[in-house]
Amino acid sequence: MPKRNFRSFLISDFTINNFAGYLNNDNDFPPVSSTIAPFGQVISVLIDKNLECWNSDPDFAVIWTQPESVIESFNHILNYKRVSIDEIIKEVDEYSSILMNIQDKVNIAFVPTWVLPSYHRGFGVLDMKNRIGIANILMRMNLRLSDNLDKASNIYLLNTQKWIEIAGSKAFNPKLWYLGKIAFGNEVFKEAVKDIKSALRGFTGRSIKLIILDLDDTLWGGIVGDLGWQNIKLGGHDPIGEAYVDFQKALKSLTNRGILLGIVSKNEESVALDAINKHPEMVLGLEDIAGWKINWHDKAQNIVDLVSDLNLGLQSVIFIDDNPVERARVRETLPEVFVPEWPEDKMLYKRSLISLRCFDTPSISNEDFKRTKMYVSERQRRSSRSQVGSLDEWLNTLKMKVKIEELNETNLQRTCQLLNKTNQMNLSTRRMTESELVGWVKQAGCKLWTFRVSDKFGDSGLTGIISLEVENKKGKIVDFVLSCRVMGRKIEETMLYQVIQYAQFKQLDEIYAKYIPTPKNKPCLEFWNRSGFIYTEKDSSFIWKVKKDYALPTCIQIDRKE
Amino acid sequence: MTKNSKLIQAIFSAIDEVNLQLPKEQHLEKSIETGLVDTSGKLDSLGLINLIVAIEQKIEEEFEVAITLVDGSHNNSPFRTVGTLADYISLLLEEKSNA
Repeated sequence: MPKRNFRSFLISDFTINNFAGYLNNDNDFPPVSSTIAPFGQVISVLIDKNLECWNSDPDFAVIWTQPESVIESFNHILNYKRVSIDEIIKEVDEYSSILMNIQDKVNIAFVPTWVLPSYHRGFGVLDMKNRIGIANILMRMNLRLSDNLDKASNIYLLNTQKWIEIAGSKAFNPKLWYLGKIAFGNEVFKEAVKDIKSALRGFTGRSIKLIILDLDDTLWGGIVGDLGWQNIKLGGHDPIGEAYVDFQKALKSLTNRGILLGIVSKNEESVALDAINKHPEMVLGLEDIAGWKINWHDKAQNIVDLVSDLNLGLQSVIFIDDNPVERARVRETLPEVFVPEWPEDKMLYKRSLISLRCFDTPSISNEDFKRTKMYVSERQRRSSRSQVGSLDEWLNTLKMKVKIEELNETNLQRTCQLLNKTNQMNLSTRRMTESELVGWVKQAGCKLWTFRVSDKFGDSGLTGIISLEVENKKGKIVDFVLSCRVMGRKIEETMLYQVIQYAQFKQLDEIYAKYIPTPKNKPCLEFWNRSGFIYTEKDSSFIWKVKKDYALPTCIQIDRKE
Repeated sequence: MTKNSKLIQAIFSAIDEVNLQLPKEQHLEKSIETGLVDTSGKLDSLGLINLIVAIEQKIEEEFEVAITLVDGSHNNSPFRTVGTLADYISLLLEEKSNA
């Protein structure tokens, strides 16, 4: 993934310059510079990678076509002629296989789904009739395209229909088509830019991981400290009460996507927790909340403290509060935190939440589904920590197990996700797509191990990666990545133990690591400074002579799967 | 706001819209002297199409009158500058109100 502007390559069968203009001028991260493929040459551009237009070496491509121009038989359908669905599907398959060519040419490819202008009534009442209606056939074509493209991990089908709905009557303008061969109204292009930018942020590890919520008038109506939990507005036969319940349900749903919930509220903690525990219509329980700061302190400071407790970065946080003064305060004090404007009308809370474009990720792993549970376990772990004397004593009580695996099909998605999302304990902050990572590991001398961590409180999942590049008896640690979830629990040392064991087996002379600083990976440097590796100014590297053993921490039990 | 200033504001609002698509160095200035398609103009043919369509939309929103700026009945002369275009639109609006 680039540290400069992202280079996009736009391939289309209509004039796509307006979209390119919006994409290039959009101020949201990441900045993009676009190149446009020759007009109307979609197929030849996709097939012939030696064409000059590919010279821009793009990071991502957008291949945006109209169904009637790439699927010839669909043209007949538009003319109300009978064409068998099998024939159409065959053409979709052929087009898909041409599209698949692009997966080796760019890191990411976006393919907007096919649509027809909203004003096209097709067969009217028969338009959804199975295998006959134009809308029905178009849906089948898109589903087939989706099935086919599913085989490529870096091609993403985008839902054009959503953009059309948001653009409303401005989605299509025949005048733009006749004067400039521009297939969509500009509102559609603007929505497409927002979605693509949101996806790119997800791919670069900038998606939101934690929602921090206020309580009074945000999760429920009224001030619990004044009213008592029995009298807050939540549920019941009341539109506002129902809206709060729906908002809580939407928040709870997000935890299934791996988004964590936290609370920062000005309240008496015992009073607020009573409301959460005792109100019969509370949807969210403490088992859904990764952490909270409920007190009378400044909210910005509480956010900093909560984020630090959870070992996350401020840039991965969204703060939701009904109070515009608190929002302004957090926005001003913590510019990294995303603080969206929030509606006064409680009935719009759920809509505002589920329309946010900050949660995009390139994939969803099993770890995501279990994330809240993992953080709740972590809370219990921290609580147990306060009851035991030294750190080592405490770690010994955890009964930690670490499962070591090489990169394989089953852990590829999560490994890539961890590689691209981790900021703090990350030696080189190397970002790669799944295909790039697989390609790298296949090279001679390259090795990568993953680390799954569990203990008596639960399973933290695949949380560590170390990779090695061997050349002339020397091994260079390329990636040293550990999720903040398990930082400081001797997994760091276990990863180095694994590498040194391998180096001894391969009879290497030394292992070294070069720390590449970023604004966020200082915790990684702090670990390497106490790792036992010797830092040499000359090579600006941390070095370990392989003839010397590297001890496995006594609190760790290894389960190895080569 | 007078009809004329409402018209100029509608054109400026369309210019804002088109500037969102253009590189910064090609941004149109919101002034009645701004050249559009003559030698001092910064717009290429696609830019002009976008501006025309944007102005038609803004005029319809502001005056609730649908006008057509391109119908093949005239050459490019109304599009020399923002000012000449405003005069032309004013004429079209007057014709519509008298019709």
